[in-house]
Amino acid sequence: MELLVDIFGYLSIILHGFTIVAQSMTLGGILFLVFLVRPFAHLLPQGADLERRVARLTIYSAIGLILAEIAGVGLQVAVVKSTVGLTFLDVMQAPFAIAGTIKTVCALLLIPCLGERMSRGLLGAVLPLLLGAAELTAATFTTHAYARLDNNVLLLFVEGLHQFGAAIWIGAIPCFVLALSKLQNVDSWRVVGARFSRMSMIGVASIIISGTIMSVFYIGDVQGFYGTAYGVMVGAKIAMFVALLLLGLGNLLVTERLRKNQDASVIRLRRFAEVEIGIGFTIFFAAASLTSVPPAVDLTNDRVTLHEIAVRNAPAWPRLTSPDHDQLAVSQAQAQLDHEAEQRHQAAAQAIIPGSGVLAPRNAEDIAWSEYNHHWAGIFVLVIGLLALLNRAGVRWLRHWPLLFLLMAGFLLVRSDPEVWPMGQEGFWAAWRDVEVAQHRFFVALIIMFGLFEWAVRTGRLHSPKAALVFPLLVSVGGAMLLTHSHQISNVKDQLLIELTHTPLALAGVSSGWARWLELRLPGRGGRIAGWVWPICFMLVGVILLWYREA
Amino acid sequence: MSSHRFGSFLVAAACAFVSMAASAHAILLDSTPKPNGTLAAGHVQMMFKYNSKIDQHRSRLVLIGPDKTETVLTIVADSKSNELDTSADLTPGAYTLRWQALALDGHITRGDLPFTVVAKQ
Repeated sequence: MELLVDIFGYLSIILHGFTIVAQSMTLGGILFLVFLVRPFAHLLPQGADLERRVARLTIYSAIGLILAEIAGVGLQVAVVKSTVGLTFLDVMQAPFAIAGTIKTVCALLLIPCLGERMSRGLLGAVLPLLLGAAELTAATFTTHAYARLDNNVLLLFVEGLHQFGAAIWIGAIPCFVLALSKLQNVDSWRVVGARFSRMSMIGVASIIISGTIMSVFYIGDVQGFYGTAYGVMVGAKIAMFVALLLLGLGNLLVTERLRKNQDASVIRLRRFAEVEIGIGFTIFFAAASLTSVPPAVDLTNDRVTLHEIAVRNAPAWPRLTSPDHDQLAVSQAQAQLDHEAEQRHQAAAQAIIPGSGVLAPRNAEDIAWSEYNHHWAGIFVLVIGLLALLNRAGVRWLRHWPLLFLLMAGFLLVRSDPEVWPMGQEGFWAAWRDVEVAQHRFFVALIIMFGLFEWAVRTGRLHSPKAALVFPLLVSVGGAMLLTHSHQISNVKDQLLIELTHTPLALAGVSSGWARWLELRLPGRGGRIAGWVWPICFMLVGVILLWYREA
Repeated sequence: MSSHRFGSFLVAAACAFVSMAASAHAILLDSTPKPNGTLAAGHVQMMFKYNSKIDQHRSRLVLIGPDKTETVLTIVADSKSNELDTSADLTPGAYTLRWQALALDGHITRGDLPFTVVAKQ
């Protein structure tokens, strides 16, 4: 179990992301049901049907919350139990386990409360709201606020407000999309659109107020924003939040036109809302990752200065030749161990044991190796973006451009982790315990999948419009992965300087994926513009990768 | 399955692949001994101070001795809320203190702190 602590920590953050998504959808569903669908059901021709569907979606979300919570808490309990040597019951009395149990029980009790029998009367509204409030309160006890040394009550309240804002706005958007697709007339759209706009505004206000207060307490000053991992992640969240606001503004304009009985595109409302769901969920996973990073105010040493950022990002020619594998620090350490073992006539120990928590040694050749990898990956992505753009401009035979992704995936699989099979000593399976290796393999799998799907779609091997959606979705996921991709480097400053490069990469990746989504789903001028945007985002990713430096 | 449902499913499936980085949550702000520091041999009080409240009962301190033997140290029950305090009888040599801290919000962080014990003057 000792060797699995890191990878379990990584998995627990993924599960925490799912928990936030499920929680937001559950709470958003309750609020949508109680404050929108039920009060206005009599005005909507399909009101009863919509109520059933929204309740069902909320029940599914509650079930998702139960599963994610049990898995997440179960993983944490297993790690603490086995590494500290405590009984199951003892670990279950830890605050995080108690909070998780309360959340699970609340979600369980919600299921019968959302059933049709309970849908009428005051109790049918009050009970879900009370259970939602109890669940939200418990959720705040697994945030930074509970473990802070001071101002716990204020920060717990602010965390609660933040999560409430996320739920009433982003968490309720799936219900909004459901309502737009099921309701068939302009009057219904007008009623739902106007009400949901107001609910969203409450959500936006809650997020801005709570986010500002948390920034004061957790980030502290301007250098905390750009000079720490916490600040950079918050910056990425803010950038995506602004994108959501712009999409929301677009939807507000449509809603206003509907309210004034003017012509408006409801299809655009739906498509923008779909993109809002995607970006919103990406923010939730970023938030889950944020809970595992120390607040910026606590990181008083090892902050990066603007000068260091400028020096690191000074233009330089890409590194197109690789150092030899046996010049890398880990190779040399292994050679030394092999030599010593041979003299003692013993079996050689491994220089690095995956999952041990001991970081691999690094020398100048390791840095050159990594830069070479990033720069060639940049060339691949730049060329892919360019070919996609030319293909869009009418060069038909370039429709095979997605095959370049397969080449890139092979390159990354072999080169990303030189200490691991096929180039290094570490076995393929044992290396899964290393978080960075696991992340690289996810990237490779994603790249292969979206490359193959897009190639099959473009060459007519797959005809379903649904298959075309795989590419934008997986590209967005890849962008989100980059947002939180970590390099296991003992130097905190170097690690942050790398993360600073990966954040714009991630944002460009997420933008690219959702622009392609709009190209496929949004008819008219909007879709056409999106069709030019996403290859340009790809090219931007390529340029940023070519700019990448580790020293 | 309608196209809308399929879209929702894909969004959900997409999120299944999103991975997050596990960085240090609790930071070691101060300690006795300091990283790569020196202590005098004998019965030594040790202290590890963090930036957040720690669940001391569910955290762990392991001392790795010069001969690589591992000893689990008892954490003082009434340590300050953000500290892990302990003591041990140490003889001269190179040691590593392996700590694993469970923050009250449920995040586990671990780290190694190497130090040297020298003979008393």
